[in-house]
This record gives sequence, structure tokens and C-alpha cells, in this order.
Amino acid sequence: MTTPRTNTAAGSRAPLIDGIEKVTGQAIYTADMETEDCLIGRVLRSPVSHGRIVSIDVSKAAALPGVVGIVTGDDCALTYGVIPIAMNEYPMARDKVRYRGEPVAAVAAINADIAAQALDLIELNIEKLPANYEPSDSRRPDAAQLHDDKPGNLEREVHHHFGDMAAGWAEADLIREGTFRGAETNHAQLEPHAALAEYDPERERLTLHSVSQVPFYVHLMLARCMEMDSSRIRVVKPFVGGGFGARTETLNFELICGLLARKCGGKVMMRLSREETFVTHRGRPDTEVRLKIGLTKTGKITAVECEVTMSGGAYAGYGLVSILYAGALLQGIYDIPNVKYDGYRVYTNHPPCGAMRGHGTVDVRHGFESLLDRMARELGVDPFAVRRANLLQAPMFTLNGLMVNSYGLGECLDKVEAASGWAERRGKLPPGRGLGMACSHYVSGAAKPVHWTGEPHAVVAMKLDFDGSVTVLTGASDIGQGSTTIVAIAAAEILGIDMGRVRVVTNDSAITPKDNGSYSSRVTFMVGNAAIEAAKALRVKLINAAAKKLEANPEDIECEGETFYVRGGSQSVLAFQDVVFAALAEEGTITVKGTFTTPIEAQGGKHRGGAVGSTMGFSYAAQVVEIEVDTDTGQIRIEKVWAALDCGYAINRLAVEGQIEGSVWMGMGQGMSEETRYVDGLPAHASFLDYRFPTIVESPDIEVHIVESIDPLGPFGAKEAGEGALSGFPPALVNAVADAIGMEVDFLPLTPDRVMEELIKMRRKARRKEVSA
Amino acid sequence: MSEPLPDFRLLRPETLDQALAALAEPGAKPMAGGTDLVVNLRRGLVDAPILVDLSGIAGFATIELSDDGLTIGAGVTLAALAADVGVAARYQAIHDAAEVIAGPGHRAAATVGGNLCLDTRCLYYNQSHWWRKSNDFCLKYRGDTCHVAPKGNRCRAAFSGDLAPALMVFDAIAEIAGPDGRRSLPLAEMYHEDGADYLTLAPGEIVVSVRLPATTANSAYDKIRVRGAVDFPLAGVAIACRDAEGGARSLRLAVTGTNSMPLTIEIADLPAGGDVDQFCADLEKAVQKAVSPQRTTTIQPHYRRLAASALARRLARRLL
Repeated sequence: MTTPRTNTAAGSRAPLIDGIEKVTGQAIYTADMETEDCLIGRVLRSPVSHGRIVSIDVSKAAALPGVVGIVTGDDCALTYGVIPIAMNEYPMARDKVRYRGEPVAAVAAINADIAAQALDLIELNIEKLPANYEPSDSRRPDAAQLHDDKPGNLEREVHHHFGDMAAGWAEADLIREGTFRGAETNHAQLEPHAALAEYDPERERLTLHSVSQVPFYVHLMLARCMEMDSSRIRVVKPFVGGGFGARTETLNFELICGLLARKCGGKVMMRLSREETFVTHRGRPDTEVRLKIGLTKTGKITAVECEVTMSGGAYAGYGLVSILYAGALLQGIYDIPNVKYDGYRVYTNHPPCGAMRGHGTVDVRHGFESLLDRMARELGVDPFAVRRANLLQAPMFTLNGLMVNSYGLGECLDKVEAASGWAERRGKLPPGRGLGMACSHYVSGAAKPVHWTGEPHAVVAMKLDFDGSVTVLTGASDIGQGSTTIVAIAAAEILGIDMGRVRVVTNDSAITPKDNGSYSSRVTFMVGNAAIEAAKALRVKLINAAAKKLEANPEDIECEGETFYVRGGSQSVLAFQDVVFAALAEEGTITVKGTFTTPIEAQGGKHRGGAVGSTMGFSYAAQVVEIEVDTDTGQIRIEKVWAALDCGYAINRLAVEGQIEGSVWMGMGQGMSEETRYVDGLPAHASFLDYRFPTIVESPDIEVHIVESIDPLGPFGAKEAGEGALSGFPPALVNAVADAIGMEVDFLPLTPDRVMEELIKMRRKARRKEVSA
Repeated sequence: MSEPLPDFRLLRPETLDQALAALAEPGAKPMAGGTDLVVNLRRGLVDAPILVDLSGIAGFATIELSDDGLTIGAGVTLAALAADVGVAARYQAIHDAAEVIAGPGHRAAATVGGNLCLDTRCLYYNQSHWWRKSNDFCLKYRGDTCHVAPKGNRCRAAFSGDLAPALMVFDAIAEIAGPDGRRSLPLAEMYHEDGADYLTLAPGEIVVSVRLPATTANSAYDKIRVRGAVDFPLAGVAIACRDAEGGARSLRLAVTGTNSMPLTIEIADLPAGGDVDQFCADLEKAVQKAVSPQRTTTIQPHYRRLAASALARRLARRLL
């Protein structure tokens, strides 16, 4: 690990370097890039949930003046998808449609009105098939099959057993079971989807601008689906208004936009409505978690059995990763000697699910932390004590081969316990008030990428030129999380220069090195390390030049504060610019690069699917939530949250605090009010009015504590900071409800109508008890 | 982006007469703050070749408070109404209601007249063209079935304006202008229990102002929704409580969000020395009996009924 040299850049509170453009409205997002010569693309979507396409007649639409091009499933016979072994989606449906809203055709016209009129003129003839909206429907023996090659509508089942379950149950003093259901949720990122494709028919080249978190994967899928040589494609990611996983795989509109541009031989802008953005989905699946936990009297975990069923939607997407994550990340947070996991990712006639902040783990963590808390109450063990009884000792490997090199969960527990006044206040709050807590963790990048090529996981290039500026070239996708700033900090810290000297150029496949993209919290860890390596390579060149000029040994040269000098000597100090001139005199413009490759031991167990969940380091979080329940109306108010996150080392404290607050807030949304709802497959949630993420009124004071366990492999010791604190919120909320009013809740979100229904049940039960007593 | 706005002519009259003349043109529709109308236009829910913007009409946005009562111009924004200290001091329920409608951005543009005439809302109606077309449209617009109550013969869309009940508990009178001149009628009579035809206004008529008599009542408004901002009410309750003869207490109660119109619910007076607990329990039952929430949102009707009655009980207890 490279430690920070001077802590002038690293460890500071740096406002994001691309923040000025955003807050002044100067940032150009994809949807802002329309020009006069641009055609407008619109998508025709399936009106039915499941059906066989008999015919699509576009002749009337094509005859409408102003319509320039139309594409349908006939224009692309190749599937796409993020997982090479599970690519089963066409950009536009062929033969069958499998969810309401699935693209079936698209129109490019000279304006949006004509494009919309043209959509109405396309005649669709679809023979309806029975639809399955619940996994239990899909798994019935007589259920309609979505995909011929997936009998029983099972995308993937996972059965992972570690240890000796019988022995684990035998050691337990208390065994309890619970079934938890979490609603499907969506990223609801502020920026709706958009793409701009420009096809040059003379040179047969395509340039695509898109909202992607993974421009590299988009590049690969464009080449595949458009049957183009990848060298003829250029993908650019402008400013992006949020991702949270919504854009971690190639999306249908990106491919459709490319196909339309080629068909028209020109430029097509495609701006999806909010509804279409919701229908493109890729959010967290509706998930049922059945859990069984064994504990000793002191709260030590002896065995865990978990069955997860995910309602995955109509296509594979990231599905097999989601269902593997759900099982793999049962581990890596507590010491669990025996684990049995069974996972089922089921096809349903809804838009496909995918990766969403806390991918695969949130509902399982919710169930686990809820059941653990209930059992602790039954045993009379404090919720903090039951977690402390099961802490890991780093460094270690879990039963499923996950590497844990650094582990600050104990310190996180100490911080939130003290800050919340847990010991003094719990049990002494007024009626209706309660405190709950939970822990969580998340990976710092998947140790094995989904497209395994053998290449380094990250490459960063740096250029130093006559002007004395350092240009960093990276394919890392800043989606608001601050990755561009991390790269600038790494360069400034290692080179001992002012951040103002550093420019970061990102996400243009014609210019920047390939990067896998922003997902699984990989960027700080992998790209951060690559940036450090690149900066170190540049520093070697500068130190050599300074040494030559100062007639000293390179080992004796120090560089900091934009100066170079002989360590211990006080006479000769060279300014940064002088050393730049000296270095350039040797070889001209200097370009260097740094790479990062995950160590083999970080890449998980040898069992099938063992790579999913494997990482170089886990972040850990603990949080306490204080709530008040209104038992008249079922409404819950969050009074305050105390959250502590072990992010290894906070390279940018300001950004880490923001990420923790954002994680807690998003967890709060999933806990309190966010859910997708469908009416026979039609979305009843496809606006920011109906998809109810919390407003500022619901947003409590979030007190953030940063724990730095200094990971031996992390950049300056850092791990991820953007996801780990999310999944603790929902169980902390449910545990607080139990503390406040003694009500056990098995569902998410805790909307007032559901809470009220549960309250009524609880009151009835209490009355029955009274009568029988 | 959202769906593109359809083409229309926007007229901006400066006087009421000009506005009425403009509204007499075929297909013309009034536009107040536009916070709901523009969304509906984009969703293809409004056939309006001409929109008549009422925001420029002289004298349309005044609040006149005197010892005789209160007159609120239809063009007063919700933000201005919520900020009026005189209204807050004497007609608390109106202040309470205005202050919590939608979000701050909406309140800056939305008006009293717009909120009183707010289009009714339904899960099957407030959707895109593609959505409604995929579902064979609905009784309220372009279709012949109410998907909420397929066996019924009327639209069940819910009236969701917050101001109407808060004004109705003060016996507000709506001043209306139209092609046949001006008239006034009790605000409660401006509504129908039919989601597709919820206003009793004739074509070309608009609300000019609402007039309230002077009052000594204590009043309050509260509502239930999943989020504390932006959301429309799942149920909203206004109560005004005044002294009656012989030390009795007299309650006026009105509810929104549960039916296709705002409802006034008759409550017997609480006699002097009466049992407040029993009174509140009876009131809760009366509200449960009177309201009729339907499956117009994803939140269950039963909950909205219970929430409305719980709010009514709580407000009554506070005001008695």
C-alpha cells in the first residue's frame, strides 16, 4: 500500500472538482447536446405483458412526412447483456414481447411531435400469452414459459453449503426462523435516460454519447449488435446525473439509438421520458428472504440457513450476479461457522431488474439484522453485544473464500453506540419512540470483472507537458460520486503539487484508457491505485531530472509543495516548473501509465459462482436510528440517524461524508416509502410523484462518523465508501419500531397503510390474549 | 425529458371580460398556475387548442380581510395565501392547508382558483398516453370503463384539492363569472360526486374569488400522505369549532381526497359538559361512514378511511 506522502491533498475536504459546472448550470449532459441537424428518436413499446409478435406494420408511419427512419426487431438479430453467458435480450423484441414497455420499434423524425405521431401509426399485431407477475406464478408447473431455454422460468439457482449445518444447529441454544419481503425499488436517478448517436456513412463510423456508468460495456455491445468493428465506434460519456446502478449495463435505448442513426445515416437524439426511464428499470428486485439462525446463549452465531427468491423481471441482465451476491455476502461481516444458501432468480413479466446500490445484499442484510435483533431480545442480549460476539479477526478468509484484510466494524459499533447515547437512552424514551441498530458491509470492487480478459482491472495515463500541467486520462465514469476528484487527489498527493495543476480528462474511448466502469464500488480502489502508480512513475522521472540538476542521488531527492530539494540539505531548491523543463529536455512530452490488477487471493472461492462477492476489501458500517411511530395513522418519523463507516482511509473526507449520508438516505427510502407497483404489468410508479423517495421533510439529521482501518491493499489504505452504509438502515428502522411499540415487521417499505394494517393485527392479537387470559 | 407539450395557443387576457371572451372560443380552457395542467397536457389528457392564462387579470390576486370577513381572489398563489398573517390568525385551517400543498415550487405558481378546480385524480387516469392506450383508456377520458369500479356507471377519480374543505368549514361562497354574467353559490355546491364531471360550473365559467363570513371559530386542517411534501392527500380533514348556545360547541367538518368531491360531514353539537371522549368516538365513526375512498391510488382505500377518521378525531380533540 502507498501511504499518503504529506496529507496535503489526500485526507482533505476537497469539493468535487467538477462541481462548479454542475452548480452553475454549465455542465453539459447528454440530453443537452441536441443540435439543429439532429433527428429525434422515439421508442414504440409493447402494450402487453407477454405475447407473440404476429406482425409489425410500419408502412403508414414510414409514409408520414418528416419520418426519416424506422427500426424494429428485424434490424438486429443479436442479443446483448452484461453477463457473457446470459445475454438473452434484443434491443427491440423479436418473436416475443415479455413485459409491458419492452421496445418493439423506434422512429427517427425531424421533431418529437412527428416521431410521436409516427409511433401511433405503427400497427402492432401481438397474440397475447398468459403473464406471470409473481415468482410463485412463474414457478407453477403449468406456468407460461418466458424463455424456451430456461425451464420453470428459473434464470439461475444457487446452492452453496459451507461447514456442517447439523453440528451448527446442535450447538445452538436458540434457533429462530423468519421470512422477509422487500419490495422492488428503483434508482430514481435525477437525470432521465438519453443517448445521442451520430453515424458517418462515408467512413462507416459511429459516435455515441450516453448516460452510461459503463461506456466500455456499451462500446462492446454496440460493436456486437451493430456488427461493427469496435475500432469504428467511439463512446463518450458526458456529465451524468446519477446512476446508482441504473446504467451499469448496456441499455436498450443506447443500441436502438445507434441502429436508428445508422439507418438514417445521421444524428439521432433520444431522450426518454421519466416513465420510459422507469420502465427501462434494472433496479432492486422484489425479494423474499427466508432465514434461519442458530445462536448460543451469549449470542454467538452457530449456523445460518438462507433461501432467497428474486422476482427478476423478463430478462437475465445482472440477475445471476444479484442472486450470487445475496448468498456470498451473508459472509464477510460476522464469524459464521456454518452456512447454507439457496437462491432462485425467477423470470416474471416485468421490466428486468439489475444492479442497484448495495447490489444483491440489501434485502438479505435486512432479514439477517432483523432476525438477529429479535433473537437477541429473546435471549436478553443487547443488540450491540450480539454483534460484538460475532466479530471477525482480520486478516482472514471466510468459508466461501472472501478475503478480509481490514475490519473496522468493532470501532463503528463503538462510535454509534456512544454517539447515540444508546446505553443511557434505550428503553427510557417516551411512548412511541424507539432506537434500533444494524450493521452492514459492501465490496470495494469485484475482484473479477464480468468480462474477464486478463487485462489489468484499471489503467490510468498521465501526461506532463511544457506548460507544467499534469493531465490525467481515465475511463473511470464519474456519476456524481467523485471519482474524478479522487484521481486528481491521488496525482497531487504523490507528486506534491497543487490540485489546480491537475486536469482530469475522462470517458472518451478515442482518448482515455479503457475502464470497466463505475459499479460494485470499484473505482476508488482500482482506479485510485492505478492513479497512484501512474503518479509514482511520473515522480520517478521528475526526481531523476531534479537529481541530475542538483548533482545528487535520486534517493536523496524529496518533492513536496511544488519544489524539489536534497533531503537534509537546505541550499538548493528547484521549483516544479524548473524540474519539468529539465525532465522534458530529456525526452519531450512525458506520458506514463499506472495499472491495478487484483491479487489472485482476492478473487474468491473455487466453487461455481465463487468470484461474485470477492473483493480486495470490505467497507463496514453500523448505524443507530431513532424513530417515532404515530399509532393513530401508522406514520413513522425518523428523528435522527448515527452512522459510522469504515472506509479504510478517507481520501476525500467531504465526499465520504456525502456518500455515507446518501447511502443512509437511500436506505431510508427503501425502508420507508420507495417501491415500484404494477397494475397487470403496467407501472403505477413511473413518475417522481408516484415513486415516493423521501423529500427533505422526511430527511433527518444524519450524524456521520468515519472509521479508518487502513486497508493494506487500498489506495492510501482506502476502501469503498458509497454503498456500505445503505443496507443497515432498513433493519435498524424495523428494529427501532420493535423497540418503540413492540411490533415485529417482516416487510419493506414501512408505508403508513402497511404499518396500520400490522398495528390492527397486533391489537387484535393482544385483545385475544386478554380474552383468553 | 417528459413527453412533448402539444401545440396550443396561449392567450393572456388582462381583464376578466377579455378572459371570459377568450374562454368562449371553441375548445378554450382556463389555465391558472399550471402546476397540474401542464403535467396533464404532456400526458395527452387535455384537448385544448386554446389556453387562457388567468394570471394576468387585474385584481385577480388580492386578499381582502376585514371585520366583515375574508375575500380571496382566485389568482392568489398558495404561497401568498400561506404567508398571509391575517388569514393565519383568523382562518387557521386555510393557512394550514395552503402551507402544505405539494412542494414550495408548486405553491409559488399554483393558485387558489386552480386548487379549487383541481382535476380529479386516479391511478388509471394520471398516466401517459402509452399507458392509458395499453389499458384501453378509462371512463374519465376516451374510454368506457372505470377500472376502479368496472361495474359502476361513474368515474371514481378522487378530488384531491386541499383548500376546498378548509374553506367549506367557514361556509365559503364561490364568486363565479361566465358568459351569462356573475353568480355566487356556496362552495360546497360547486362540486359533484362524479370524477369525470366533478364541477357544477357551466362551460366558460370560472371562479373569480371566494368569500368567507367573519368567524370566531378555532380551526385546523391536516392530511395524510406517504411523504410530508409533494404528495396529494390520501385524506385531508378540516374542522372549525365555534361556541354555540348554552356553552355547547359546534363543529363544522369537511374532508378531501376520499371521494370525487370534497365532503361536508354533519356533526351534532357537543353540549356543555358533554362527554368529549364519546363525542370524538362518534365523530370518528361518522367520518368512517361518510367517506368512500376507492382504489384510485396504490394505497389501500381502507387505510384512507381509517386515516381520515383518526385525523378528524385528533383535530376535534385539539380544537374542543
